[in-house]
Amino acid sequence: MEIKKPGVAGTMESSDIIVRIEPKETEGIELTLESAVMQQYGKQIEKVIRETLSELGVTRAYVNAVDKGALDCTVAARTLAAAYRSAESTEYVWNEVKAK
Amino acid sequence: MDWYVSRCAELSGPRLEKTEAFLKEMGLKYEGGADYTVQLVSDASEILANGSLCGNVLKYIAVDPRLQGEGAALSVVSELVSEAMRRGITKLFLFTKASNEMLFRGIGFYTLAATRDVCFMENSRTGLDRWLASVERFEGVVGAAVMNCNPFTLGHRYLIETAAKAVDHLYVFVVSEDASRFPFEDRIRLVKNGTKDLKNVHVIPSGDYMISLATFPTYFLKEGADAESVYAALDLTLFGERIAPKLNITKRFVGTEPYSPVTNGYNGIMKRLLPRMGVEVVELERLRGISASRVREALDRGDLAAVRDLVPEGTLKYLEHIE
Repeated sequence: MEIKKPGVAGTMESSDIIVRIEPKETEGIELTLESAVMQQYGKQIEKVIRETLSELGVTRAYVNAVDKGALDCTVAARTLAAAYRSAESTEYVWNEVKAK
Repeated sequence: MDWYVSRCAELSGPRLEKTEAFLKEMGLKYEGGADYTVQLVSDASEILANGSLCGNVLKYIAVDPRLQGEGAALSVVSELVSEAMRRGITKLFLFTKASNEMLFRGIGFYTLAATRDVCFMENSRTGLDRWLASVERFEGVVGAAVMNCNPFTLGHRYLIETAAKAVDHLYVFVVSEDASRFPFEDRIRLVKNGTKDLKNVHVIPSGDYMISLATFPTYFLKEGADAESVYAALDLTLFGERIAPKLNITKRFVGTEPYSPVTNGYNGIMKRLLPRMGVEVVELERLRGISASRVREALDRGDLAAVRDLVPEGTLKYLEHIE
């Protein structure tokens, strides 16, 4: 999946996460994460975002996420929605959000 | 406390009055420019929290103390960010008191530059570096000038030509902010065409990282604070600490400023701050006292003959075409 334009999903409400994905010219995912529970779950959130993007075949993107204590399923869903919006794709395959 | 979210595109009438009163109570002054406003409103229709989008800058963020600690600021900023994205604005900026830096850090804003009084933040940690990476870098002695060129005059041409002789490469940053009489695209085109013969001159949009006085809000400063000095120190700190080192810039050129006290004050602060950050300030005498404001005044009088004496061929043709 190719990231064509900036896309965003989520909110900054408690228990949610806002994920913004932007096009990047070079290979790799550059992720910035801000989280209320960085110490405890920072690594886990990053892992879910990276895995979700990898399942979608996104290999080039700037990702900026601000987490307010979202569960993994929320993190995955927001990442997925932001990626679809960035790719201007509406061919949703929602089962890409696996039960984790 | 119960509240609902209220959103509006333009503040006007009684709603504007109520908002102004609320902001005043929170110690802020409404200075206009809100394109989109989000408020949390109580059942008794009191405003409890406010935030506005002004172009790509978030402004007027305030929360009633009764609601603080309940994530009200988050709800407001979150709504504003979503609306900005819907409008295709993904790079967002805000100015805040230095004491609020950590609060905004928690919602994904990162500091670009900070002075004792004020902090300038962007919703990306890598935005500035990405912009810097997009600008071609040069070796040798590199200079820079930041200009509005509203419009491009013989004075600008003279300054650029003189500065270019003193360095190996000269960046000319043209202010991108569209708060001037002539639109950015026209201004930069005239500069590019008017300096085409100078091979070591590189004309570049100032982008989002040179702060325009037009977007700099002063409403959160203390009563009686010298807003223009605070603005100048912030803009120059960003230039001296973050931009100049990355682009290898060691000289900044400015014209002497006999007319505008604001620009003159700015130049004074520049001379004080930049040398500490390793950037020498070179002030050049103005050519025949020509300024873009004199051109605009002549245009207002409909005096194209006077304009002819102040601008290069390209600018003259442009002005004749549009006036």
